[in-house]
Amino acid sequence: MSANNVKQPQKNLPTGVKGALVGAGASCLVLKAGSGYGWMLRPPGAVAEDDFLKKCLRCGRCAHVCPYDAVKMGKLSDGLAIGTPVIVPREMPCYLCSDLPCVKACPSGALDPELKDPLKTRMGTAVISEREECLSIKGLRCEVCYRACPVIDKAITVENYLNVKTGRHAIFEPVVHKKDCTGCGICEKACVLERPAIVVQPLQPPTESWYES
Amino acid sequence: MKVNRWTTGRRCVQILMLLLLATPAFGWTFFEGNLGAAAIVGLQLSDPLAALQILLLTGTLTATMLSGTAIVLVFYALLGGRVFCGWVCPVHLITDLVDLLPWPKRLSSWSLEWKTTALIVTVIMTIILGIPVFETVSPIGITARALTFGVSSSLIIIVLIVIAELVLVRRVWCRSLCPLGGFYYQLGRFSPLVVAYDTTKCTHCGECQRVCFVPEVLAPSLKSQRNMVHSGECTRCGACVGICPEKALDFALRNPFER
Repeated sequence: MSANNVKQPQKNLPTGVKGALVGAGASCLVLKAGSGYGWMLRPPGAVAEDDFLKKCLRCGRCAHVCPYDAVKMGKLSDGLAIGTPVIVPREMPCYLCSDLPCVKACPSGALDPELKDPLKTRMGTAVISEREECLSIKGLRCEVCYRACPVIDKAITVENYLNVKTGRHAIFEPVVHKKDCTGCGICEKACVLERPAIVVQPLQPPTESWYES
Repeated sequence: MKVNRWTTGRRCVQILMLLLLATPAFGWTFFEGNLGAAAIVGLQLSDPLAALQILLLTGTLTATMLSGTAIVLVFYALLGGRVFCGWVCPVHLITDLVDLLPWPKRLSSWSLEWKTTALIVTVIMTIILGIPVFETVSPIGITARALTFGVSSSLIIIVLIVIAELVLVRRVWCRSLCPLGGFYYQLGRFSPLVVAYDTTKCTHCGECQRVCFVPEVLAPSLKSQRNMVHSGECTRCGACVGICPEKALDFALRNPFER
């Protein structure tokens, strides 16, 4: 009787352990496969990405309170980041609400409540990624990104210099100053080109927590 | 046909919960979040398993989560842990409806004990991967997200669960695999509210076991003449109470530490 009782679990356990391992392995693969290929623009106050993935509860409260519906939720293809908040500026940038409702809504501190001033957030930084396409750098009077910037004349300034192609006109080049750029993505959204010449990119090297304290 | 009042009532609560989760999509603001963490008219709530994962990963919890978890823990500890499964969880509603179709009843079912293994695997994977694993892959979170953010590819997990329950194993997710079910099972072992029955009225017709979601915890109690279902597996769904033609079953209070 007692011998039977001892043998029984030994017979059953391996199947269970196998099942658990297969399940765990499969979900590991699915999650890992989708991650690491892209950088995601997080809402204001987001702590450094490694910590963010640990702290974020995937509850969606930041997205529920965002008045612009700028905060989207990560999909299955985002791997480890499935269900985490992400901002896609070209769809809807962050408009830096003065009361930061997303930060207030976050229950777990993934969006750091220490952030009080939206202009101090450092979600990323704008970069002129397509110099050859930028209308202003081509010599036209565009400067839409400069006008749209919520930190105009600090985060984006316009530098003018002689257009050597014509020899008699000026080029008014928008220049991003990382120190003041919030990474909100309004410039990326505003860019008149089909494929924006100015985009938000990660801060290099990433700061410890992604806002200016 | 006799109406099972408990099942009808529970269905209404389940649908109300589903609507509550969907309210942010209508632009209403009194509710935000999902079953992992939420605020209902300012009252902060958070799921204890979610809090446990964050605690393991970061070593700390915010005051918001601590108080939200305490409220939820006390609530389910009093009512019975798996009350969450039976009355609140949207995935349970989906699989309840799938189980109303005639053919899943012919399928075999798996042991209830797997849930605890699933819970342990989830906790270990949380530490290995460095993310709150259950919040990431949870079909409960995915269902709630689909309600407010629209249908997405993540819903594949719900499809897989429904297919598995239609063709492979009856109620496999809620009975045997859900780590959160495993968590609430542990919590429900010590709750005072239980199903009790009057052994003198029982005619052993078996109706209660036919409607029960976890008949293996109902049956032994009936046979052994113990007059209460002590297991934490019971979702307190009340189906047995509502169906009993002799009114032999009812909810009762017990001393949780006395068996």
